[in-house]
This record gives sequence, C-alpha cells and structure tokens, in this order.
Amino acid sequence: MLKTEELQINIGPQHPSTHGVFRMIVTVDGETITDLKPVFGYLHRNHEQIAEQNTYLQNMPYTDRLDYFNSMANNQAYAMAIEKMVGIEVPERAEYLRVMMVELTRILNHAGALGFLINDMGMWQTQLAFGMREREKILDLFESASGARLMCNYFRFGGVVRDLPPDFIPRLKELLQAMPAFVDELERLLRENEILMQRAEGIGILPRDLALAYSVSGPVLRGSGIPYDVRKAEPYSVYDRFDFDVPVGTVGDVYDRFLVRIEEMRQSRRILEQVLEQLPDAQGGHINPKARQNVRPPVGDVYARIESPKGELGFYLVSDGSGKPYRYKVRAPSFINLTPLGDMCRGYKVADVVVILGSIDIVMGEVDR
Amino acid sequence: MYDILDGLINSTLGFGWPSWLISLIGYVLVATLLFAVAPFQMLFFTYYERRAIARMQDRIGPNRVGPEGIFQPIADGVKMFTKEDIVPDAADKRVHLLAPIVVVAPTMFMFAVLPWGPGMVPVDLNTGLLFFFAISSISAVGLMMAGWASNNKFALLGAMRAVAQMVSYEIPAVLSLLAIVMMTGTLSVVSLINAQGGLFISTNDVAGVPDLGLGWLIFTPVGLLAFMCFFIAALAEGERTPFDIPEADSEIVAGYMTEYSGMKFGLFYLAQYILNFLLCAIAAVIFFGGWQGPGVGWLYGMAISPTNPDGSWIFNLLAGVLGVFYFLAKTYFFFFVMIWIRGAYPRLRVDQLMDFGWKFLIPLTLVNVFSAAIWVAVTSWGVADGFGLVEGWSPMLRWGVAFVTTLVLNGAAYVIVARIYNSAQAARNRFDVDELRESLALPR
Repeated sequence: MLKTEELQINIGPQHPSTHGVFRMIVTVDGETITDLKPVFGYLHRNHEQIAEQNTYLQNMPYTDRLDYFNSMANNQAYAMAIEKMVGIEVPERAEYLRVMMVELTRILNHAGALGFLINDMGMWQTQLAFGMREREKILDLFESASGARLMCNYFRFGGVVRDLPPDFIPRLKELLQAMPAFVDELERLLRENEILMQRAEGIGILPRDLALAYSVSGPVLRGSGIPYDVRKAEPYSVYDRFDFDVPVGTVGDVYDRFLVRIEEMRQSRRILEQVLEQLPDAQGGHINPKARQNVRPPVGDVYARIESPKGELGFYLVSDGSGKPYRYKVRAPSFINLTPLGDMCRGYKVADVVVILGSIDIVMGEVDR
Repeated sequence: MYDILDGLINSTLGFGWPSWLISLIGYVLVATLLFAVAPFQMLFFTYYERRAIARMQDRIGPNRVGPEGIFQPIADGVKMFTKEDIVPDAADKRVHLLAPIVVVAPTMFMFAVLPWGPGMVPVDLNTGLLFFFAISSISAVGLMMAGWASNNKFALLGAMRAVAQMVSYEIPAVLSLLAIVMMTGTLSVVSLINAQGGLFISTNDVAGVPDLGLGWLIFTPVGLLAFMCFFIAALAEGERTPFDIPEADSEIVAGYMTEYSGMKFGLFYLAQYILNFLLCAIAAVIFFGGWQGPGVGWLYGMAISPTNPDGSWIFNLLAGVLGVFYFLAKTYFFFFVMIWIRGAYPRLRVDQLMDFGWKFLIPLTLVNVFSAAIWVAVTSWGVADGFGLVEGWSPMLRWGVAFVTTLVLNGAAYVIVARIYNSAQAARNRFDVDELRESLALPR
C-alpha cells in the first residue's frame, strides 16, 4: 500500500452549496471523509440581543428574518408565545387563517428544499426551477394576503393583521388542484431516476438513537423513523380538528428524508383542504378586537413551540413586566438539526457532504441568528 | 478543396493560375477556416446549451443581446478578455500559465483528421482514429498541471478526479472503437465513412444496393452496443453530466479551474466545448456515417474526384454543402442529447463512476469485440481463412447469420452484465444498512 496523507479542506464559508456562509472543516483521506467539523457564526447578527431592545410588537417583523423561507411559521410561534404570556384569546377564524398560512409555508419550503437538494447533487437546476415555480404561486398568495412575499409580517397578537382578500380562496383552490401533479412529478423523478437513487440511498444515515441524542426534529427526525410531530404530540392552534398522517422513514438516510418531505407536502394539502371546508363556519373575525398590541406581559417566562417546516421552532421569553422582553431565546430547528452533521458524514465521500447538508435543509439566517 | 478552387478559378473564370498557387490558396483557406471554426463552434455551443436547457427548465434563457440573444456568447467572450488575470501568490507561475495552453492545443490538433464532407478532410491520415484518441489524451496532462500549479486543494482534488476519470474511460471508448475497426478493417476516418454508404441492410458487399448513404454502423448489433458504450465514455471524457465530477460546482467549486480567471479560464472553457464538439462529431463519423446521407453519394458521383476526373466542380460544392449539413445535423443532435442528460440527471459520485466504467462498460465492450470477430468471420472469411462453413453462402445469407448471432450475443451480454452489476450494487447498499442496524440493535 502507498502511504497516504490526510488532507484538510475548508468547505465554505464561501462555497456554492453551503446554503449561506457556513464552514465545514473536512479531513479527507483521498475522497473519504475521516472527520468533519461544522463551524457556524459567520452570519451572527445579534438577533436575540437586538430583540431584547425592541418592544414586543417590534419583534414580530424581526422574526421574519430568522428563517426567511418560512416567515409565517416564525410569526406564529412568536405570536403564540406572547398570547400565552398575556392570555390573549384568538378567534377561531384567525386560527384557521394561521394554519392555512403555515401549511402553505410548509409546501413552499419543501418544494424549495428538495429543489436545492437535487441541485446539490448536480442536476443542473432543473428541479430547482420547477420547485421555485410552485413557490412563486404560493408567494403570490402571500402577497395578496399580507402585502409582502417573503417578509410577510402577517400575524398579530390575537389574530392576523387583516382578513383575506376576496379572490384568495378561489386562487388557493386552484393551486391545491394543480398541486398533486407537481408532487407526483417530483416523486416520479426520485423513484425512477437510477443515478439519483444511487446518490441518496444509504447515504448520510442518522440512526434513531443518535437522532434522539442530538434532539433533532422535523423531517430529519421523522426520516430516522421517529413519528414525532408537535402538531400531533402537543396540538396547538386548531390542529386537533384535522385528520392527517405523520410520515416516517425507516433507515434515516437522505432518501428517507426526501420521501418524508414529499409525503408532508401531500399531508399539508390534506390539511389545507380541511381548512377550506371548515373555514366558512369558523366563529369570530380575523383578530380579537380586544387584544392590545403594545403588550406589557406580567413578570414570568413562557415557552411556545410549533412544528415549523424545518422542525420544532420554539420561542422562550422572560418578561420583567416592562414593554420589552427581558430575555428572548429562539430554539432554531436548523441549528439543532445541523449539529449531528459530523456524525452523519463520517465515512462517506466528499461529494456526499453537500448532499447530506442539503437533506438537513438549513437556512443560515436561523442557524446563526 | 483543390478541386473546387481549380474548377472555379481556372475552368470557369479562366484565370489559368498555376496549380501550386491554387494549392497554396487552398491550404491557407482550410487553415483559416479550421481556426475560425473551432472558436465559433464553442460560441455557438454555449448559446445552444443555455437556450436548450432553459427550455427544459421552464425559462427563456439569454435573449437580450441581439435578436433572440445570439450575440450573448460574443458579449461573454469580450467580458473574458477584459477581466483581470489573477495568479495566486503561491502558484507555480510557469506551469500555471502553460496548463491552459496544453489543454487547448491538442483539441485544436484533432480538427486535422475531422472529415466535414466528401473530399473535405484536412489530412487523410491512414491512422486517423488512433491519432484522434492519442491526441485527446494529452489534455489530461494539462489538467493535472492546472490542478497542481494552482496550489489549491479544490483544484488538486478536481485535477485528480479529472485524470482518473479520463484514464479509466478511455479504455471503454477505445475498446468500443476496436470492434468498429475490426469490422471495417480500417483506421482511416475517410475509409470508415466510405464503408458506411449503401443501405443499412449491408455495407457495400451486396451488388445492386442503391447508395443512399445509410449503411451506418449503428444499424448493426455490434455498432449499436459500441455506440452506447462509446457515447457514455464520451460523456465522461468530455466531463458532461452525469460525469461532470472534476468540476462539480456544488462540491469542489470549479475543480482544476478554480484558480483561473480571465482568458485563461476562457481557454479551459474553450477546450472543453471543442472537445465536446469533437466527441459528438467523431461519434457521428464512426457510427452514423459522418457526412453520409441520402443524396450525397449521388451528387459526389458527378463531381471531380480521383475516380471521376471529368466531373463538374459545382457538384463538388453541392455534395460538400449537403455533406456538411448532414454531418453537423448529426453532431448537433448528439450535443443536444448531452444537454438533455444534463437537464435530467444528477451527477454520479466518484466511486460509482469508477465502478460503472470498470465493472459495466469494460466487460460489455470486451464481449462486443468478440461479437465483431464473429461478424468479420461470418461476413468475409472463407476456406482460405480456414472457415469453410460459410463458403458458398450468398452475401445476404452471411449478413443475416452474422446479424442474428451478434444480436443474440450482445443482447445476452447486456442483460447478464447489467443484472450482475445491479445486484452487486444493491447488495452493497443493503449490506451497509443492515450492518448499521445490527450494530445499533435497531428494530427492523
């Protein structure tokens, strides 16, 4: 045997497929990875400290900037935390609107994430372009409802900022009707593409016990075979009224995470259809008219969590009785899902690193805060 | 070219120039054309690829510069020229400068043996095919030089991958050509094309077959399998998806090109697209008859050629135009297939690439060489060669027997090798997962 030497390479912070400024110190023996150390913090912008200088309402648009793919989900988690702390009632209709927006966000996020993942595998943006096309349709809906496409800032304490425009529901119905074709196309692409299967099956395995030990959540955890979903485990909002399944994988490889995301898009569509059915009968308006927006919560702390498209998103707030949070902490799913990266990559090839990273689905805005 | 110029200047215009002058003008014209054609092909291919793949991705593609964006590649070229040339401090400056030249020069040489139309080949080497593949291997040296001299880890990784890939995929490419060389008995590109006239049921052996220029080798079982293996190997040599591993942008930035900028980077790009063009062209020449097609042979029969000195130069021109049209149509179609694959498939991993080359393509091409031997024995041997069985068979019978035998042999080989390869792959994947489950004592 030839005597070989290990080589240390930096993937990132400037690299085409690290999904932002993220650095991995990779030790390779030839093409095989012997060690991988993720380095975060290049996008640190003092989110939590700045949030402690703002009033509670000022933080609502600021949460949009955490995971900029899913601003609606961030809004919901934050709004829920404040409502829990102050004790604001949310009207039924507002809850339905919230669920509708967050489920649309989930479809949008998964369509984009799968596109980026396949792009990382080297399929030159085709799937990404298709995913982005679906995302555009949903963003148009968001724009008509909230006035913004990405930074929606749609939620308020006690409801949402305004009711739906009249053409929203027909457009949503149209979108839902066209969606199965897109999802089926995506699944066919995965199941019938030999090269893609070779690149995804048995790659980046995250075993069950390891997944639990790292406290990962979301599609990554479910891909590893644990049917844990905050929507089922601790139903918030009106999720207990819907009938939907929690898809789980078996092995915990990239392929399982793929399939879980595809199935979640279908389940989100199911929820949306039920929302459309039940929305006309929902009581109340789009917001609780008695809810004050410049809240001064009583002294104490609160933790509220939702199932964001990337995993369990939680806000921990401590109030000292003033108009600003004393402590504001985000449990960011991207950040926690990223921690087992080293264990997932060890023993695989350099080319697998970007695929595994893509299958975790991170947004650096949330990881580094 | 000489015939056309001679006919035009001396016979039609009546200038009566000496033949050496005509030859000189011909050489200068051909050389200029070749040097102009290479970059032009590259410019056209970049535009073609971007527009075609944009259509596949529901986009429009470049459409701002000029009508339908056709001047976009020229704008890109100007941009390349005006960019700063950056050489890293720690680079080996001389090798860094030499590498792009070493990569581009061989691709230009390869134009020397490329036949564009009937009687339109710059040099009719009697070892043209060998020359083509020998020269194309030289660029691997340039790639290694680029990777090493850049003093960048991504560049080094990319160069290693590029060289490993080029070396291992050259074997199936050359082996699949070997079968063709055995069948036609020639290494010259021109005689290879001439052997592909007639009709597809046979080459020129059968009397009375009209020359429709459709005797392409792809219509034989040996040629079909050889073409499949050759085209896959060409994808790997041209660094196209799914084998674009050496410059996998999502993994190792740009591979060996990472530390190059400005026109040096442009040269790598140029070399790559010209190589792609040439590989498509040579695939068209070897398996699809090059310029052969309905009408060319008929037109060329009336033109000035060594066998027919009394023809008219106009027919030279007409046959040339039609031949070049057929040739380029085939070439562009193959390039379109490359784009198509790029739009639809992700890239393989480096170990899967090696597996595929060594465990799938090479066994298949070896079987194909055996089939080619059977083909040659059945179609052209006799008692004199110690194969008395076929003596006295009519050419059609010989052709039929050879076709069926090689079809069965190649089909069986494909099925068997594919099954072995697939089960080996599946077993490997399953083994990994099962082992992991056991080591962690997970429920099944």
